[in-house]
Amino acid sequence: MNPPAFIQTIEGSGIGEWMRGSLLAMPWVNAIHVLCVAMVFGSILVVDLRLLGVLDRARAVTRVSHEMLWLTWTAFAGAALTGALYFAANATTYWFNTAFRFKMLAILLAGINMLLFQFGTWRGVAAWDRGASPRAARLAGGLSLAIWICVIVLGRVIGFTKGYDVPVPEDLDFDFSGG
Amino acid sequence: MSLLEFATWLQSTPFSVAIQSASWVVPTLQSLHILMIGVVFVSILMIALRVLGRVRMDESVPQVWARFSPFLWTGLVVMALTGVLLVISEPVREFMTLSFRLKMLLLAIGVTSAILFARSVRGAVKAGGQAQFPLRTRIAAVATVLLWLAVIFLGRAIAYDDVVWGEWSPAVLAGADST
Repeated sequence: MNPPAFIQTIEGSGIGEWMRGSLLAMPWVNAIHVLCVAMVFGSILVVDLRLLGVLDRARAVTRVSHEMLWLTWTAFAGAALTGALYFAANATTYWFNTAFRFKMLAILLAGINMLLFQFGTWRGVAAWDRGASPRAARLAGGLSLAIWICVIVLGRVIGFTKGYDVPVPEDLDFDFSGG
Repeated sequence: MSLLEFATWLQSTPFSVAIQSASWVVPTLQSLHILMIGVVFVSILMIALRVLGRVRMDESVPQVWARFSPFLWTGLVVMALTGVLLVISEPVREFMTLSFRLKMLLLAIGVTSAILFARSVRGAVKAGGQAQFPLRTRIAAVATVLLWLAVIFLGRAIAYDDVVWGEWSPAVLAGADST
Protein backbone atom coordinates (compact mmCIF):
# COMPACT_ATOMS: atom_id res chain seq x y z
CA MET A 1 0.00 0.00 0.00
CA ASN A 2 1.42 3.35 -1.02
CA PRO A 3 0.91 6.58 0.93
CA PRO A 4 -0.63 9.58 -0.89
CA ALA A 5 1.74 11.54 -3.13
CA PHE A 6 1.88 14.58 -0.84
CA ILE A 7 3.09 12.41 2.03
CA GLN A 8 5.93 11.14 -0.15
CA THR A 9 6.65 14.72 -1.22
CA ILE A 10 6.92 15.81 2.42
CA GLU A 11 9.26 12.96 3.25
CA GLY A 12 11.39 13.69 0.18
CA SER A 13 11.55 17.42 0.90
CA GLY A 14 14.70 19.24 1.97
CA ILE A 15 13.38 19.56 5.52
CA GLY A 16 12.72 15.82 5.75
CA GLU A 17 16.18 15.12 4.41
CA TRP A 18 17.77 17.56 6.84
CA MET A 19 15.95 15.98 9.79
CA ARG A 20 17.15 12.52 8.80
CA GLY A 21 20.66 13.63 8.01
CA SER A 22 21.44 15.92 10.94
CA LEU A 23 22.43 13.97 14.03
CA LEU A 24 21.66 16.80 16.44
CA ALA A 25 18.30 17.80 14.90
CA MET A 26 16.51 14.74 16.32
CA PRO A 27 17.41 15.16 20.02
CA TRP A 28 16.71 18.91 19.98
CA VAL A 29 13.44 18.68 18.08
CA ASN A 30 12.40 15.77 20.28
CA ALA A 31 13.24 17.58 23.54
CA ILE A 32 11.46 20.79 22.49
CA HIS A 33 8.42 18.77 21.39
CA VAL A 34 8.12 17.00 24.75
CA LEU A 35 8.65 20.24 26.67
CA CYS A 36 6.02 22.09 24.59
CA VAL A 37 3.43 19.31 24.76
CA ALA A 38 3.93 19.07 28.53
CA MET A 39 3.51 22.85 28.83
CA VAL A 40 0.30 22.80 26.80
CA PHE A 41 -1.06 20.30 29.31
CA GLY A 42 0.32 22.07 32.39
CA SER A 43 -1.03 25.48 31.38
CA ILE A 44 -4.43 24.31 30.12
CA LEU A 45 -4.79 22.38 33.40
CA VAL A 46 -4.85 25.69 35.31
CA VAL A 47 -7.66 27.05 33.10
CA ASP A 48 -9.60 23.78 33.14
CA LEU A 49 -9.44 23.49 36.93
CA ARG A 50 -10.86 27.01 37.17
CA LEU A 51 -13.65 26.15 34.72
CA LEU A 52 -14.39 23.01 36.76
CA GLY A 53 -14.52 25.16 39.88
CA VAL A 54 -11.80 23.14 41.63
CA LEU A 55 -9.26 25.95 42.15
CA ASP A 56 -8.90 29.72 41.83
CA ARG A 57 -12.62 30.16 42.51
CA ALA A 58 -12.02 33.63 43.96
CA ARG A 59 -10.43 34.78 40.71
CA ALA A 60 -12.24 35.78 37.52
CA VAL A 61 -12.33 33.12 34.79
CA THR A 62 -11.35 35.74 32.21
CA ARG A 63 -8.31 36.70 34.25
CA VAL A 64 -7.14 33.12 34.78
CA SER A 65 -7.53 32.23 31.09
CA HIS A 66 -5.90 35.47 29.94
CA GLU A 67 -2.94 34.71 32.22
CA MET A 68 -2.47 31.16 30.99
CA LEU A 69 -3.50 31.05 27.33
CA TRP A 70 -0.50 32.95 25.94
CA LEU A 71 1.58 30.16 27.41
CA THR A 72 -0.72 27.46 26.03
CA TRP A 73 -0.64 28.97 22.52
CA THR A 74 3.12 29.55 22.52
CA ALA A 75 3.70 25.98 23.67
CA PHE A 76 1.18 24.66 21.14
CA ALA A 77 2.92 26.53 18.31
CA GLY A 78 6.25 25.07 19.43
CA ALA A 79 4.78 21.56 19.63
CA ALA A 80 3.14 21.86 16.20
CA LEU A 81 6.32 23.14 14.58
CA THR A 82 8.58 20.47 16.09
CA GLY A 83 5.89 17.85 15.41
CA ALA A 84 5.81 18.89 11.75
CA LEU A 85 9.62 18.57 11.57
CA TYR A 86 9.35 15.12 13.10
CA PHE A 87 6.61 14.16 10.66
CA ALA A 88 8.66 15.36 7.67
CA ALA A 89 11.54 13.05 8.60
CA ASN A 90 9.40 9.89 8.34
CA ALA A 91 6.08 11.02 6.83
CA THR A 92 5.13 7.67 5.29
CA THR A 93 5.81 5.76 8.53
CA TYR A 94 3.64 8.16 10.54
CA TRP A 95 0.93 8.17 7.90
CA PHE A 96 0.35 4.43 8.38
CA ASN A 97 0.73 4.50 12.17
CA THR A 98 -2.62 4.01 13.96
CA ALA A 99 -1.55 5.81 17.14
CA PHE A 100 -0.45 8.80 15.04
CA ARG A 101 -3.86 8.95 13.34
CA PHE A 102 -5.66 8.81 16.68
CA LYS A 103 -3.37 11.51 18.06
CA MET A 104 -4.23 13.83 15.16
CA LEU A 105 -7.92 13.01 15.67
CA ALA A 106 -7.60 13.84 19.37
CA ILE A 107 -5.96 17.22 18.59
CA LEU A 108 -8.81 17.90 16.13
CA LEU A 109 -11.35 17.09 18.86
CA ALA A 110 -9.51 19.41 21.27
CA GLY A 111 -9.80 22.14 18.63
CA ILE A 112 -13.53 21.55 18.09
CA ASN A 113 -14.11 21.53 21.87
CA MET A 114 -12.24 24.84 22.12
CA LEU A 115 -14.12 26.46 19.21
CA LEU A 116 -17.54 25.40 20.55
CA PHE A 117 -16.54 26.83 23.93
CA GLN A 118 -15.06 30.03 22.48
CA PHE A 119 -17.98 30.90 20.20
CA GLY A 120 -20.74 29.49 22.39
CA THR A 121 -20.39 29.29 26.16
CA TRP A 122 -17.66 31.99 26.41
CA ARG A 123 -19.98 34.69 24.96
CA GLY A 124 -21.94 34.77 28.18
CA VAL A 125 -18.86 34.71 30.43
CA ALA A 126 -19.70 38.08 31.96
CA ALA A 127 -22.58 36.40 33.82
CA TRP A 128 -20.40 33.71 35.43
CA ASP A 129 -16.93 35.28 35.39
CA ARG A 130 -16.69 35.40 39.19
CA GLY A 131 -18.99 32.60 40.23
CA ALA A 132 -19.44 28.92 39.51
CA SER A 133 -19.20 28.01 35.83
CA PRO A 134 -22.29 26.79 33.96
CA ARG A 135 -22.49 23.11 33.08
CA ALA A 136 -21.37 23.71 29.46
CA ALA A 137 -18.17 25.39 30.69
CA ARG A 138 -17.45 22.60 33.18
CA LEU A 139 -18.00 20.05 30.43
CA ALA A 140 -15.58 21.91 28.11
CA GLY A 141 -12.97 22.00 30.90
CA GLY A 142 -13.31 18.30 31.67
CA LEU A 143 -13.21 17.30 28.00
CA SER A 144 -10.15 19.46 27.42
CA LEU A 145 -8.27 17.69 30.22
CA ALA A 146 -9.28 14.21 29.07
CA ILE A 147 -8.39 14.93 25.42
CA TRP A 148 -4.95 16.39 26.19
CA ILE A 149 -4.10 13.40 28.39
CA CYS A 150 -5.04 11.17 25.42
CA VAL A 151 -2.84 13.26 23.10
CA ILE A 152 0.19 12.73 25.35
CA VAL A 153 -0.46 9.00 25.83
CA LEU A 154 -0.96 8.49 22.08
CA GLY A 155 2.21 10.45 21.36
CA ARG A 156 4.13 8.02 23.55
CA VAL A 157 2.44 5.01 21.92
CA ILE A 158 3.64 6.23 18.48
CA GLY A 159 7.21 5.86 19.71
CA PHE A 160 6.61 2.20 20.52
CA THR A 161 4.63 1.26 17.41
CA LYS A 162 6.52 2.86 14.54
CA GLY A 163 9.80 1.74 12.97
CA TYR A 164 13.16 3.15 13.86
CA ASP A 165 13.71 6.84 13.17
CA VAL A 166 17.16 6.37 11.77
CA PRO A 167 19.09 3.28 10.79
CA VAL A 168 21.49 2.38 13.60
CA PRO A 169 25.05 2.98 12.39
CA GLU A 170 26.92 -0.28 12.22
CA ASP A 171 30.13 1.09 13.69
CA LEU A 172 28.34 2.15 16.90
CA ASP A 173 29.77 -0.13 19.58
CA PHE A 174 27.52 -0.68 22.59
CA ASP A 175 29.32 -3.78 23.80
CA PHE A 176 29.99 -3.18 27.49
CA SER A 177 31.48 -6.58 28.19
CA GLY A 178 35.07 -5.42 27.74
CA GLY A 179 34.65 -2.27 29.85
CA MET B 1 30.95 -3.95 42.00
CA SER B 2 31.10 -1.36 39.24
CA LEU B 3 28.12 0.77 38.28
CA LEU B 4 27.79 -1.23 35.08
CA GLU B 5 27.79 -4.53 36.99
CA PHE B 6 25.17 -3.18 39.36
CA ALA B 7 23.03 -2.00 36.43
CA THR B 8 23.37 -5.37 34.72
CA TRP B 9 22.37 -7.17 37.94
CA LEU B 10 19.40 -4.80 38.46
CA GLN B 11 18.24 -5.39 34.91
CA SER B 12 18.20 -9.17 35.53
CA THR B 13 16.09 -9.00 38.73
CA PRO B 14 12.55 -10.47 38.44
CA PHE B 15 11.00 -7.04 39.13
CA SER B 16 12.91 -5.39 36.27
CA VAL B 17 12.10 -8.27 33.94
CA ALA B 18 8.40 -8.00 34.87
CA ILE B 19 8.35 -4.26 33.94
CA GLN B 20 10.16 -4.98 30.68
CA SER B 21 7.92 -7.86 29.62
CA ALA B 22 4.51 -6.20 30.02
CA SER B 23 4.48 -4.01 26.92
CA TRP B 24 1.98 -1.46 28.27
CA VAL B 25 3.89 -0.61 31.47
CA VAL B 26 6.77 1.49 30.09
CA PRO B 27 4.60 3.66 27.76
CA THR B 28 2.17 4.24 30.65
CA LEU B 29 4.98 5.23 33.02
CA GLN B 30 6.49 7.53 30.39
CA SER B 31 3.12 9.18 29.69
CA LEU B 32 2.60 9.86 33.41
CA HIS B 33 6.17 11.17 33.63
CA ILE B 34 5.55 13.62 30.75
CA LEU B 35 2.17 14.75 32.14
CA MET B 36 3.89 15.53 35.45
CA ILE B 37 6.68 17.43 33.68
CA GLY B 38 3.94 19.75 32.42
CA VAL B 39 2.37 20.13 35.87
CA VAL B 40 5.68 20.70 37.69
CA PHE B 41 7.28 22.98 35.11
CA VAL B 42 4.22 25.23 34.76
CA SER B 43 3.90 25.42 38.57
CA ILE B 44 7.55 26.48 38.87
CA LEU B 45 7.11 28.94 36.01
CA MET B 46 4.05 30.54 37.64
CA ILE B 47 5.78 30.91 41.01
CA ALA B 48 8.88 32.35 39.32
CA LEU B 49 6.83 34.77 37.20
CA ARG B 50 4.99 35.92 40.34
CA VAL B 51 8.31 36.59 42.08
CA LEU B 52 9.32 38.60 38.99
CA GLY B 53 6.00 40.48 39.20
CA ARG B 54 4.63 39.27 35.83
CA VAL B 55 1.52 37.24 36.78
CA ARG B 56 -1.06 36.96 39.57
CA MET B 57 -0.23 40.35 41.05
CA ASP B 58 -3.69 40.32 42.70
CA GLU B 59 -2.36 37.55 44.95
CA SER B 60 0.54 37.56 47.41
CA VAL B 61 3.51 35.24 46.81
CA PRO B 62 2.46 32.97 49.73
CA GLN B 63 -1.00 32.70 48.12
CA VAL B 64 0.52 31.79 44.75
CA TRP B 65 2.82 29.35 46.53
CA ALA B 66 -0.17 27.78 48.29
CA ARG B 67 -1.99 27.46 44.94
CA PHE B 68 0.86 25.78 43.03
CA SER B 69 3.05 24.03 45.59
CA PRO B 70 0.69 21.02 46.09
CA PHE B 71 0.95 20.45 42.31
CA LEU B 72 4.71 20.92 42.51
CA TRP B 73 5.20 18.36 45.32
CA THR B 74 2.65 15.85 44.00
CA GLY B 75 4.12 16.13 40.52
CA LEU B 76 7.64 15.65 41.84
CA VAL B 77 6.65 12.56 43.83
CA VAL B 78 4.85 10.98 40.84
CA MET B 79 7.80 11.86 38.58
CA ALA B 80 10.23 10.31 41.05
CA LEU B 81 8.15 7.11 41.35
CA THR B 82 7.63 6.68 37.59
CA GLY B 83 11.25 7.69 37.01
CA VAL B 84 12.59 5.08 39.44
CA LEU B 85 10.45 2.37 37.81
CA LEU B 86 11.66 3.43 34.36
CA VAL B 87 15.27 3.27 35.54
CA ILE B 88 14.69 -0.20 37.01
CA SER B 89 13.27 -1.34 33.66
CA GLU B 90 16.47 -0.47 31.79
CA PRO B 91 19.23 0.55 34.23
CA VAL B 92 22.14 -0.08 31.84
CA ARG B 93 20.71 2.28 29.23
CA GLU B 94 20.17 4.97 31.92
CA PHE B 95 23.27 4.69 34.12
CA MET B 96 25.66 4.49 31.20
CA THR B 97 24.74 7.92 29.86
CA LEU B 98 26.22 11.29 30.78
CA SER B 99 22.77 12.85 30.27
CA PHE B 100 21.24 10.72 33.06
CA ARG B 101 24.10 11.42 35.49
CA LEU B 102 23.95 15.18 34.85
CA LYS B 103 20.16 15.07 35.14
CA MET B 104 20.38 13.48 38.61
CA LEU B 105 22.91 16.11 39.68
CA LEU B 106 20.75 19.02 38.50
CA LEU B 107 17.67 17.35 39.98
CA ALA B 108 19.32 17.31 43.41
CA ILE B 109 20.12 21.03 43.07
CA GLY B 110 16.60 21.78 41.76
CA VAL B 111 14.79 20.01 44.60
CA THR B 112 17.08 21.57 47.20
CA SER B 113 16.42 25.05 45.80
CA ALA B 114 12.64 24.40 45.82
CA ILE B 115 12.82 23.40 49.50
CA LEU B 116 14.92 26.48 50.33
CA PHE B 117 12.45 28.68 48.46
CA ALA B 118 9.52 27.12 50.35
CA ARG B 119 11.32 27.94 53.58
CA SER B 120 11.92 31.57 52.58
CA VAL B 121 8.24 31.95 51.63
CA ARG B 122 7.22 30.69 55.07
CA GLY B 123 9.65 33.19 56.56
CA ALA B 124 8.08 35.95 54.48
CA VAL B 125 4.58 35.00 55.71
CA LYS B 126 5.74 35.28 59.32
CA ALA B 127 7.32 38.65 58.56
CA GLY B 128 3.98 39.84 57.17
CA GLY B 129 4.59 39.65 53.43
CA GLN B 130 6.94 41.64 51.26
CA ALA B 131 6.60 44.42 48.70
CA GLN B 132 9.53 43.99 46.33
CA PHE B 133 11.88 41.07 46.03
CA PRO B 134 15.63 41.68 46.23
CA LEU B 135 17.61 41.15 43.04
CA ARG B 136 19.12 37.88 44.22
CA THR B 137 15.64 36.36 44.76
CA ARG B 138 14.61 37.37 41.25
CA ILE B 139 17.82 35.94 39.78
CA ALA B 140 17.17 32.73 41.74
CA ALA B 141 13.67 32.55 40.20
CA VAL B 142 15.06 32.77 36.65
CA ALA B 143 17.87 30.32 37.49
CA THR B 144 15.37 27.79 38.85
CA VAL B 145 13.33 27.87 35.62
CA LEU B 146 16.49 27.43 33.53
CA LEU B 147 17.64 24.61 35.80
CA TRP B 148 14.40 22.67 35.29
CA LEU B 149 14.56 23.29 31.54
CA ALA B 150 18.00 21.67 31.59
CA VAL B 151 16.62 18.72 33.60
CA ILE B 152 13.86 18.20 31.01
CA PHE B 153 16.28 18.44 28.08
CA LEU B 154 18.74 16.03 29.71
CA GLY B 155 15.90 13.57 30.26
CA ARG B 156 15.23 13.48 26.55
CA ALA B 157 18.94 13.44 25.72
CA ILE B 158 19.35 10.05 27.48
CA ALA B 159 18.01 8.41 24.32
CA TYR B 160 20.59 10.26 22.19
CA ASP B 161 23.51 10.30 24.61
CA ASP B 162 26.21 9.25 22.12
CA VAL B 163 25.04 11.84 19.58
CA VAL B 164 24.73 14.69 22.10
CA TRP B 165 27.94 14.08 24.07
CA GLY B 166 30.10 12.16 21.63
CA GLU B 167 33.24 10.90 23.35
CA TRP B 168 32.01 12.14 26.74
CA SER B 169 29.21 9.59 26.72
CA PRO B 170 30.07 6.67 29.07
CA ALA B 171 28.46 4.29 26.59
CA VAL B 172 30.86 5.44 23.87
CA LEU B 173 33.78 5.36 26.33
CA ALA B 174 32.94 1.78 27.37
CA GLY B 175 32.68 0.84 23.73
CA ALA B 176 36.06 2.43 23.00
CA ASP B 177 37.68 0.56 25.91
CA SER B 178 36.76 -2.81 24.51
CA THR B 179 38.37 -2.27 21.14
